[in-house]
Order: sequence, then C-alpha cells, then structure tokens
Amino acid sequence: MTAIPLEAFLTVSGLIFGIGMFGLIVRRNLITLLMSLELCLNAVNIAFVGADAHLGLVEGQIFALFIIALAAVEAAVGLGIIIAIFRYRKVESSDEVRDMRG
Amino acid sequence: MFKLIVFIIFSAWAVISSLGVVLFSNPVYVILWLLSALISIAGIFFVAGAELVGAIQLIIYAVAIAVFYIFVLTAVPWEKALKKDSHYRVEGVIAFPFIILLYIEMFIVFTLGVMASPKKQLKLFIERIGNAEVVGSILFSKYFIAFEIVSLVLLMGMIGAVLIGRKESQTYDGDTS
Repeated sequence: MTAIPLEAFLTVSGLIFGIGMFGLIVRRNLITLLMSLELCLNAVNIAFVGADAHLGLVEGQIFALFIIALAAVEAAVGLGIIIAIFRYRKVESSDEVRDMRG
Repeated sequence: MFKLIVFIIFSAWAVISSLGVVLFSNPVYVILWLLSALISIAGIFFVAGAELVGAIQLIIYAVAIAVFYIFVLTAVPWEKALKKDSHYRVEGVIAFPFIILLYIEMFIVFTLGVMASPKKQLKLFIERIGNAEVVGSILFSKYFIAFEIVSLVLLMGMIGAVLIGRKESQTYDGDTS
C-alpha cells in the first residue's frame, strides 16, 4: 500500500483555494460569498491534514480542528451581519452595500 | 494504490463541487454543491488517516453549518437576487489572470516547501494507539490554552451574533422626547 504523495494534497488544496478565492471575487449574493469563504477554509484544512500525513505529526490536525471552530464562529457572525443588513437596508447584493451608515 | 485511487476520486469530486459552488446562480443549488464539497473533503480527511478531523468535519460542517446556511437562506427573500445577475462578469474576467498568478505563486512556494525534511517521529506511536487518541492527548496537554481560547472565541462569537442579529424592540429614530 503506497502512501499518497504530499504534492497531491497540496495540489487539491491549491485548486480549491483558488476556486474559493475566485468565488469571493465574482459572487454577487452575500450568502454565496460566505460559502466561497468556507471553501477557502476547507482548502487550508486539506493542506494541514495532508502535511500531517506526510510528516507523521498530529499538530496539523489540531489546527484543522481550531480552523473548523473558527469557521463556525465566522459563519454565525457573518450570517448575523447579513441578516442585519437585510433587515435595515433591504438589500442582498454586495454592490448595494456601499456605505456604512446614512 | 487503493488509497491513491480513493483519494483521486474524492479530490475530483471536491474540485467539481467547488466549481459548482462558484458557478451556479441559484443559492439553493449552491448550498447543495457546498454540502457535496464538504462531504468529499471529509472523505479526503479519512483517506489521509485523520479520522477525528473527518468526523468533526462531517458533524460540524456538513450538518451544523450547512443547516445554519439553509436557515438563513430561507429567512431571507432571495427572489430579488434571482432577478439580478448572480455574478460580476467583468470583474471575473479581470480577476482571472490574478487567480492564475496566485496559482503560480502557490506552486513555487509548494515546490520550495516540499524540500523540507519529514520527521515521522510520531508515526509508530500513531499506528500503535490510533489517531484520535494521539490528537486528543496532544490537544489537551500541549495545546490546552489554545483550546480554551478557542472556546472563549466561540462564546464571544455567539454573543456577538445574537447581538447583531436580534430584532430591535424599539427604534430611536423619531424619538425626540
């Protein structure tokens, strides 16, 4: 049974990170923009876990757990902000949110 | 060899699902593609031997966060978003060379970083007593303070989300008294 090379993990991670970054740029809806951000975080997790499998350590998995917890916080706060924007401004596309107040 | 084939299947699934997340216009289809991507990434974690992270990915991401997104999606009137164009097309065309540049930069950094020597110091230890036990023991000994700080960040994020998303009981706009 051959092990998976580290380059495979890093290639998948880089591909998904780039796709998520592209989604962050081109998306118009605020919720789908947050979903692209989740893709970026998952790509970082793949890189951590792959480097762990290569090096034979577990620190990367611990930091992947931390990243998952922080992604949960980010989703909660980000979606709360989006709901507040909907409630006060009645907009849901990111080019209509130009000013902070007024 | 078997591991590599399974890894390639899960990776192709993950990349295709990510493309679906970025390219589809309907938000409900996008959340389904995101769910598919999260499940395939959990499969990648299982193949890599990180059972605990894969299980937590399935439990927290693919259940809790996805359901949370669906709740927000139903709470929000997204019919208006369907009328407008769902992507910035001009910005996408302009940003595409920069994404390619990002790929090239990541490739250079990775090829430099791959030369770092592997240690494999915990490899036998992990194979003897299992992955989840090692992760748990190191998480609760060496990274215990970081773990507690993450729990504090979770608490602060929860309070902040409740404060931001709550409905104001009274408004002070026309209050002149």
